[in-house]
Amino acid sequence: MSFPLYVNQGLFRICQGIIFVLLIGFLGLTLTANAQQKVTFGKGNTTNVTVTSSSNASSQTGVKTLTSGGYLPNKNAAARLLSQATLGTTYSDIENVATQGIEKWVDQQLAMPNSFKITPYLQNLHQSILDSIRRVDPDRTLANTFLSDWHFDISWFQGNMTAPDVLRWRVALALSEIFVVSRVSAFENNPYATASYYDVLLENSFANYRTLIDKITYHPSMAVYLTYVNNKPADFNNNKQTYPDENYARELMQLFSIGLFQLNLDGSEKKDANGKSIPTYDNEDIANLAKVFTGLGWGDSKYLGERSKDYWSYTKRLKFYPIDSSDAYIRTWTTRHRIINGHEAGVKTFLGKTIPARSVEQGELDIKDGLDIIFNHPNVAPFISRRLIQRLVTSNPSPAYIQRVATVFNNNGSGVRGDLKAVIRAILLDAEARDCCNNGNTEFAGALKEPFIRYTNLVKGLNLTSSTGIYRNSMRRAYDRMGQLPLFSPSVFNFFSPDYMPDGPLKGTGKFGPEFQTLNAQSLTGYFNALNTWLISDTPVDYNGFFGNETYKPEQAPKFDLTADYPLTRNDRLTQLLDKYNLILAHGRLSEKSLNIIKEALQKMPLTITNGVMNTDDAFRRTRIAIYLIMASPDYIINK
Amino acid sequence: MNRRNFLKQSGCAAMGATTLLSTLTSLGAVNGAIGHKKFASKDAPVADDYKALVCVLLAGGIDSYNVLIPRGVSTSEGGDNGYAEYAATRSDLAIAQASLLELNNPQCTSFRDFSCNYGAFALHPTMTGMRDLFNSGKLAFMANVGTLVEPIMNETDFKSGLKRIPEGIYSHSDQIMQWQTSVPQSRNALGVGGRIADLLNAGNANSQISMNISLSGKNTFQTGENIGEYSISNNVAPNAVGIDIIPSWWNNSGLLTDLRNNGIDSLVGQTYANLLQQTYSGTTKSAVASYATFREALKRVPSMATQFPTTSLGNDMAAIAKVMSVRNNLGVKRQIFFVTYGGWDMHDNLAGGMNQRLPVVSNALKAFYDATEELGIADKVTTFTISDFARTITSNGLGSDHAWGGNSMIMGGSVKGGKIYGAFPSMNLTNNAQNISFRGNFIPAVSTDEMYAEMALWYGVSPADLCYVLPNIGNFYSYSANNYPIGFMNFAGTNISTDDKPQSCLTY
Repeated sequence: MSFPLYVNQGLFRICQGIIFVLLIGFLGLTLTANAQQKVTFGKGNTTNVTVTSSSNASSQTGVKTLTSGGYLPNKNAAARLLSQATLGTTYSDIENVATQGIEKWVDQQLAMPNSFKITPYLQNLHQSILDSIRRVDPDRTLANTFLSDWHFDISWFQGNMTAPDVLRWRVALALSEIFVVSRVSAFENNPYATASYYDVLLENSFANYRTLIDKITYHPSMAVYLTYVNNKPADFNNNKQTYPDENYARELMQLFSIGLFQLNLDGSEKKDANGKSIPTYDNEDIANLAKVFTGLGWGDSKYLGERSKDYWSYTKRLKFYPIDSSDAYIRTWTTRHRIINGHEAGVKTFLGKTIPARSVEQGELDIKDGLDIIFNHPNVAPFISRRLIQRLVTSNPSPAYIQRVATVFNNNGSGVRGDLKAVIRAILLDAEARDCCNNGNTEFAGALKEPFIRYTNLVKGLNLTSSTGIYRNSMRRAYDRMGQLPLFSPSVFNFFSPDYMPDGPLKGTGKFGPEFQTLNAQSLTGYFNALNTWLISDTPVDYNGFFGNETYKPEQAPKFDLTADYPLTRNDRLTQLLDKYNLILAHGRLSEKSLNIIKEALQKMPLTITNGVMNTDDAFRRTRIAIYLIMASPDYIINK
Repeated sequence: MNRRNFLKQSGCAAMGATTLLSTLTSLGAVNGAIGHKKFASKDAPVADDYKALVCVLLAGGIDSYNVLIPRGVSTSEGGDNGYAEYAATRSDLAIAQASLLELNNPQCTSFRDFSCNYGAFALHPTMTGMRDLFNSGKLAFMANVGTLVEPIMNETDFKSGLKRIPEGIYSHSDQIMQWQTSVPQSRNALGVGGRIADLLNAGNANSQISMNISLSGKNTFQTGENIGEYSISNNVAPNAVGIDIIPSWWNNSGLLTDLRNNGIDSLVGQTYANLLQQTYSGTTKSAVASYATFREALKRVPSMATQFPTTSLGNDMAAIAKVMSVRNNLGVKRQIFFVTYGGWDMHDNLAGGMNQRLPVVSNALKAFYDATEELGIADKVTTFTISDFARTITSNGLGSDHAWGGNSMIMGGSVKGGKIYGAFPSMNLTNNAQNISFRGNFIPAVSTDEMYAEMALWYGVSPADLCYVLPNIGNFYSYSANNYPIGFMNFAGTNISTDDKPQSCLTY
């Protein structure tokens, strides 16, 4: 018989009254049931836990102890959830999830308000830098106290270390790799541009997708990045021949919503009669949608076409200018001005839908209609669902998994389309996400950990704490060595493509490994050597001075304190040391063999004990090498 | 076309030619199923049988119709009216005629049934290095080259539904990939450089370092069935290569370094059922195996007089020159390099962007050519630029948008330079059969296949194996003696290889 035992929204629902006398509150176990048939099902991590029932299934007597309420994840399963749902986890986080249960923790997180706003933190930082400089230079102002892009990273890191809404922070990073904006652009030296955009992602991580694309479309950083700020209608005046910029129209459809080819609900491509993929749009659609995104200028401008004023222009929602009156502002020496439309007039047809002709004053309704048409395209659900699953859980979700999540995208259960909160919940609580063993298909399970996430795993896992609560960390090494930091993508196509197929064993399997696009001989040593600096050279953060002659503030440059682990570096206690970090960093995923390899290396390292007192240098080194090797192991690197 | 037909067509001439390779003793297969004879060692009769291809990817889609520009005066003045047509269509993007850098007698050719529309050309004002190389015959342009599955002659062809059109035409991610695969009908194809290396990698004496070296990490161009890239940084100081040692202020630094490194080796040396783990382990193993060889070779880099600009591309090209300088220490006879220089997606600020980036390209490539002269291998190195696509001829007010066929540069001592190959389209968009959009998008006259095929034959791919390197080549070209795909390489002294690999044609 097969057990009709399945996961429903994170709870075990047990049908047909299977009766157990023995309850072990672990997820992922092997049941030896009445007929002495063994069924293994996974939910979490723990294998080889045996549960025996005392009576057969048809009997309704006995103690029904395997109920949802009493069913809590063990620590490995808790840590595994956190590896998908956070940027890094401490031991106490793991205990927390293990005590309250996965579903409850997820719901708590989804209910938490956005706790840390990067832009105000940056603004305060900016002000405090100015205050310091004013002591020697009283005439300085904010506007001429210059910042660099890394002031954003310092502010970001502060939030990462202190915000309790850790799931939101994980999802926002995922969104930043889908709705890509990058400082490799015209705003490379304006941290307000990145901070303000990232705040939109944080604020809307659990909002509605339609709201999110509205906020993104009207955000100056996106408008500069994809060049539609001050985008004007076609113009043939004076032998000129110019047309609306097509950049945003194309990438909005290709990357942020529907993709190049028509999809089924399960994410697979629809095929035509000849077996070919069916394009979602052609160049005519692009040219028409480009007309929609005309007339958007800076929020603090006087006219369409004016340049940004200052740092803070990037924090203000774009303004719609139906009329292009720039000539009146620019050619001030004459009174004969050319006042023309700022927004392209007329009908716009794309994706088989038509936006009606209306007065340019009402042109903003074109943008609303345009975003609605995209939002209601059937591709959005499978397209966005697959991307989010890849970012959080696995590179190769089954079509059924995509379909389950896409179904929630299309309708959250209350008739609402695009509810990201429901989508995130569905992704994390899906059986395929919670199943340790991917339905037995371990061959393709999991994902390569993004380089940057390995770093956040490290600082969280080793409990980097600052006595002052301030973390001054530009994280520059993560970028220099591994090529990744938030909002630092080389292009709108992110650090890696969702459809990247690595060479090697995966080739020809039709499976994807997006993050492998970042892995090569060079970035690999970059990672190993960054670990060297963080762990062995004991420099876990990159401390930047804020102005010339600033006193070094060591209390803002925290280091790892692993002294509590030192007793565990004795040969007879190494197992405990390794178990601890195996749990925190790899949710117990390192095999016995891997652990033994590391243990053998550690045992060969000197450890002097004099009069019962352990040499702290030796203990320090054993701890660091232990963590280094855990983080170099394939069991850690592939999160599954 | 299948392989058999290919062999037939190659005919007696090619098969009968005595080539260097065919006279050498086969040292047998080293890498996978593909056997190959070793290239000549340095003790062999031909002293330095070395050849390298350098692919420079200008990522983002360069507006190459503002790189190579018609400069002809009006017909009334006896010219071809090229500049006027250019200026009228490009509108506010047009570059002032007086500032253009003139090319001496560029001999623009026609190709297939496309004619070259102009006789007089010039370069962007910032590209003095490229102008000089062109005028001294070391640089050629390939006009209106792009991704094609089969020839498309005009707009009617394009819209007929009977011709295969590149997938995801105008999309960055697709077109940048197809320029690297030369297989525009598939999203699963391998790269051109990778497939060449599949065939020829075993010919290098040392298989520890891949034939394909990348300055820009993972890329499609260098990915083959069996061969991947070896990624390096442009810091090729020996101690910058590989995994850092444990600092000396740790006691027993040497022992601890060994313990740690052995730990890594053992961890990735285990057997993993999960293919993602296998992929990570495999990458780590091969990278670790390469570091030592590479580091040792780099200790032999000579000092060079050529000064490279200190731009990112300048640093990358300098690193390539240094690696080439130790080719014998690395034990390699054939190398394919890949470098990316991005930032060309100029929907906005096109004029400023081009003024900023084109001199970086021009100066870095010029210095690189000079370095190959200094190393005495100028005629053994062929460098070429590729990009996602060209851009719309018309303006969007500040820049240009995505288009199709564009212009590439090919540089080297074996290039028959000082000429414009392919066929430069008319800048007048009315009644222009090559133009397929009101924005000005040209159907490519030349396929990427033809451009790559010419270089592949020069590099040592046999005519019979071209269909493995370029699966669509049969739609454009078939080899016969002294009939080359385009004719921009100087084959004098270069024997066409008859060393066929037991490799079937690829089909997509």
